[in-house]
Amino acid sequence: MIVSWDWLSQYVALPRAPDELTARLMMAGLNHESTTRVEDDTAIDLEVTSNRPDCLGHIGIAREVAVLTGEPLNLPAAAPRLGKPAVDSLAAVVLECPELCPRYTARVIRGIKVGPSPAWLARRLRTIGIASISNVVDITNYVLMECGQPLHAFDLARLAGKKIIVREAKAGEKFLAIDHKEYELTRGMCVIADAHRPVAIGGVMGGADSEVTSGTTELLIESAVFDPISIRNTARRLSLFSPSSYRFERGPDPEAVDWASRRCCELVLELCGGELADGVLDVGQQPTPRKRITLRLPQIPRILGIDVPTPEVRRILTALGNKELRADAAAIEVQPPSWRRDLVREIDLIEEVARVHGYDKIPEDTRVPMVPSHRSDEDRVLSRVRDVLTAAGFDEALTASVVDEQTSEAFTPWTDAPPLATTTPLLRGATHLRRSLVPSLLGVRRTNENLANPRIELFETAKVYLSGRNQLPFEEKMIGLCSGRDFAAVVGALEALVDVLHCPQKLEVAEYRHPLFKPGAAAELRLGGKPCGVLGELAPEALKQFQLRGAATVAEVRLAPLVASAVLVPQYQPLSAYPAVERDVNFEVSDSVRWADLAATAQAAAGNLLERLVYVETYRDAQRLGADRKSLVLKLVLRKSDGTLKSDEADAVVTRVVEACGQRHDAKLRA
Amino acid sequence: MALTEFLSQLDELAAAAQSAFSSAADAAAVEAARVEFLGAKSGRLKAVQKGLGSIPAADKPAAGQRFNAVKQQIEAALEAAQKRLAGTATQATAAGCDPTTPGTPLALGHLHPITQTIEELKDIMGRLGFSVAEGPEVEDEWHNFEALNIPAAHPARDPLENFYLTTASSGTAPTMLLRSQTSTVQIRVMEHTKPPVRIISLGRVYRPDTADATHYPMFHQIEGLLVDRQVTMADLKSVLRLFAASYLGHDVHIRFRPSFFPFTEPSVEVDMQWQDRWIEFGGAGMVDPHVLRAVGYDPDEVSGFAFGLGVERLCARRHHVTDIREFYKKDVRFLHQF
Repeated sequence: MIVSWDWLSQYVALPRAPDELTARLMMAGLNHESTTRVEDDTAIDLEVTSNRPDCLGHIGIAREVAVLTGEPLNLPAAAPRLGKPAVDSLAAVVLECPELCPRYTARVIRGIKVGPSPAWLARRLRTIGIASISNVVDITNYVLMECGQPLHAFDLARLAGKKIIVREAKAGEKFLAIDHKEYELTRGMCVIADAHRPVAIGGVMGGADSEVTSGTTELLIESAVFDPISIRNTARRLSLFSPSSYRFERGPDPEAVDWASRRCCELVLELCGGELADGVLDVGQQPTPRKRITLRLPQIPRILGIDVPTPEVRRILTALGNKELRADAAAIEVQPPSWRRDLVREIDLIEEVARVHGYDKIPEDTRVPMVPSHRSDEDRVLSRVRDVLTAAGFDEALTASVVDEQTSEAFTPWTDAPPLATTTPLLRGATHLRRSLVPSLLGVRRTNENLANPRIELFETAKVYLSGRNQLPFEEKMIGLCSGRDFAAVVGALEALVDVLHCPQKLEVAEYRHPLFKPGAAAELRLGGKPCGVLGELAPEALKQFQLRGAATVAEVRLAPLVASAVLVPQYQPLSAYPAVERDVNFEVSDSVRWADLAATAQAAAGNLLERLVYVETYRDAQRLGADRKSLVLKLVLRKSDGTLKSDEADAVVTRVVEACGQRHDAKLRA
Repeated sequence: MALTEFLSQLDELAAAAQSAFSSAADAAAVEAARVEFLGAKSGRLKAVQKGLGSIPAADKPAAGQRFNAVKQQIEAALEAAQKRLAGTATQATAAGCDPTTPGTPLALGHLHPITQTIEELKDIMGRLGFSVAEGPEVEDEWHNFEALNIPAAHPARDPLENFYLTTASSGTAPTMLLRSQTSTVQIRVMEHTKPPVRIISLGRVYRPDTADATHYPMFHQIEGLLVDRQVTMADLKSVLRLFAASYLGHDVHIRFRPSFFPFTEPSVEVDMQWQDRWIEFGGAGMVDPHVLRAVGYDPDEVSGFAFGLGVERLCARRHHVTDIREFYKKDVRFLHQF
C-alpha cells in the first residue's frame, strides 16, 4: 500500500519526518518497504498483512497513526447535496446472485462535465503511482485509495434499459473489458449486466461499452460487496489483477460501501458539477452489527507475560474504534468497529493491546524452567552415519525430493507402485516424488564429472516416498551412496557403518541382479537375515544411460533396520591378559564356494577359542589351480581368557576348521 | 717401572689416541679406535694401566694422577669424534628429505552446510530443553491447513500456492500435498501428547516459488513449540534471546514486530541485533486458541509459543552465500568450502 504524505496529513497530524512515522508504524505492524520523493510529495510504501484490509486505504493508515500518536482524526463528512428526481425513477438494480454479490448500491448523478482533474487530485494519484485519466475516473480511484472500497462509474446513458442486473456469468459468455480485450467467462463469476449484455465483471473489471468518456453526462456510481473467494477465482482465471480485486479478496469495510458512494458523489458534484438524484438503490444484505467481545483482564498477563494498566487497555481499545460496552475490574466488553473484521475473539483484542502498548515492553530475561531434552535413537544413528561416511571420504549431497519421470523410473528397488506426482512441477519437469536416492546421486556425479572435479564421492540421507493406497505414502529414510571406487570399497564403508553402530548382526551380502548393475558386482544387503539395502557397480550400459564416463558404484540402505539393530550403549567385555595366536589357513576350493559360507563353517568349527576370523586373500591361477578353482586364505586369531594358548591347542582348532571345511565345502588344505 | 718411563708411555698413548680419533672418518673407524685405546679387555690404556702396579710406592700418587688425566683426555677425544660424525650424519639425512613437503592426504568428506546449520540449531535447542520431533513430508489438509487455523477459503490453500499430489490411478481431487511448513509436526505431536510439550520440528518444506537468489521451491525449516501452563510471550522472547545468543556466541537483544500468521496470535516477526543492526530472524507468536482446541487442548488451561526460521537464509547469511540456489547446485567444490 503506497501512501502519499500530503494526502495522509489531511486526516491526521503527522510526525515531523517520514522516518519517524515509518518507524512507529513498523513497530505497530506496518512494515516499511520504501520512501520515495515524488515531486513535492513523499510516497511511503507500507506492507499490509492479509488480516488488515482496513489498512488498504489512506484513512485506515491515518487511523493507525491517530491511535499511536493520540492525535485527533478528521474524516470527510461524505454528505453530498441531494437533488432531484428520485433515483428509482432514473435507474433500477436487480440482484440475482446474492451468494456472489451480497450487496449492491447505486447512485445517479446527471448533468456532469467530464474533463481533466484538478492539480491536487492528479498529483496525489501520481504520488501513489496512479495515472490521471479524467475527473470522474480519478475520483473513483481516489475514493478507493482513500477508504479501500472499490467503486465503478458507469455512463448511465450507455446502460441499456437504464438497468443493472447482477447475475452469475453464463458459461462461455463473452465480455469486452475496459482494456479492449475480450474475455470468455465461466460460471461462478459475477457479472454486472444491463438489459442486454455484461457491462462489468463484478469487482474485477469494467467494460468498454459502458465506460465513462469525454461526452458522458450521466453517471451511475456502483459501490458493492462481492464474495472474496469468487473474486479471487475470477481474477486468477482471467489473469486480471487490479487494486479492486485485491481489496475485494481481503474483504473491505461493509460500512464503507455507502460512505464511499456518498464521498464519490460529493467529489463528483464538486469537481464535475451536475445534480445528484435523491436516494440510493441499495439491494441485498445490510451489514450486520458486530458481535461483542469480552476481554478478561487476567488474560493479558497470562498471554503477554506483562501487566498492562487497565486504563491503558481501555484507551487502546477505544482508540482503535471499539465501542466499550462494559468495563469492570475483571473484564472489558467491547463491540469492534466495522472496519476491523479481524477482531472477533478475546485473543484478537489481546494482540491489539500488545501491539499498541508496544512489544518492547515485554522482557527478554524471564526464567524459563529447565527441562531435559532427548535425542532419538534415529538422530544418534544418523549422526554416526555422517561421521563414518565423511571419514570414509564421502561428501554430503542434498538433492530434490521431486524428480523428472526419467530419473524416477531409472531405479526403483523398493516398490512396484507408481510414484506420487505433484500437480505443478517443483523444478523444470520434476513432478515425481522419488522412490530412490540413487538416480539423484548419479545425476550429481554426472554434474561433477562435467565440472572435471577429481574426487566425486557422495552420500545423502533423505526420504523416499512409497505410495500407499488412498492414504499418506510410506516415507522411508535412506542412506544413499555413490562412489567412483569399486564394489569392495563401498561394501567396506557399509561394514564400517554396521561396526560403528555395534550391531550384533553382521552385514550379509546376498547375490542380486538388476539391469543397472554388472552381473557379479551387485548385492542385496541384509542385516539379521532381513533385507536392508542394495549395492552394485554400474554396468557399461547404465553408465551410458546416466551419461557417466568413469566407473560408479552405488548403494542404498534403509536407515530403520540400522536404528533397530544399533547398540548405542555398548557394554564392556573383559579383555584377556594372555597373548593371541594366529594361524593362517590356505584352502583350495571350487570357484563356486562363497567366502561367506566358508567363513561361517570355519567360525562354527573353531569354537570359543576363536577371537577373530580374518579374510586374507583370494587367489586364482588357472594353470596351477585349475580354471574353476581358487585359493581362499583366512587367518584365525585365537586366544584364551584364562591362560596362554598352547601350540597344540591352536593346532587342534586348525584341524577342526580344516575338517569341517573339507566336509562342507570340499576345501583342501594347500601347503 | 720407573715413573719417567710410565709417563712417557702415557704421553705416547695420548698422542696416538688423539690422532686416531681425530682422523676417524666414520663411525666404524671411531669404534675401531675406541676398541684399540679404551677397550675393556685389551685396550692399550688397559695395558698401560697394568704398569701402574710396578711403580714405586712414593711415585704412585703422581703416576695415578697422570693416568687419570690421560684417560679423560682419550675419552674426550672419543666423544668429540662421535659428535663430529653425528653432526655429519644429520646433514646427510637432511640432504635426502624435505620435511616441508605435505603429509599424506586424508580424503575426508564434507557435510552439506545446511546439515551443519541444522545440527548446530538442534544442538542449541537441545540444551534449552527442546527435543526433536519429526513428521511426514507428504501431508493431508487437516495437518497442513485445517488444524493450523487455515480454513478452506484461505488464499494459502490455493492449488497454485502448494504442491498437491496425485497418484496415477486416482481420479479424485487431490487431498495430499507436500507440506508447506513444519508446523504440521507440531499438530501431530500435540495430537498424541499431553502438555507440557517442548519440541523442535525440522526438515524439508515445499512451496511453488520460482527459484531465485532468496527462494527455492524446496527448503528447510526449523520450528520450536512450547506448550504448558503459564507460558507467556515473555518466555518466547527470552528463549529466542538464549537461542540467538548461543548461535552468535555473544549476548543479543530480541525485537518483536507485529505480524500475521494463521496459527499464532499474537504473531510477530522476530529481529535480532547483529553488529548494531536489526536483522530478521524468523516468525513467532503465541499458539492460536483455535490450534490448541484443534488438538484437544483447553486454551484456558494451557498456553504456548511457536517460532520458525528458514535454515537456508540463516546459513546463507552466516557463510556469506549470496544466492541460496548454490546450496542445490551439486558441485562438490562448494561442499569442500564448509
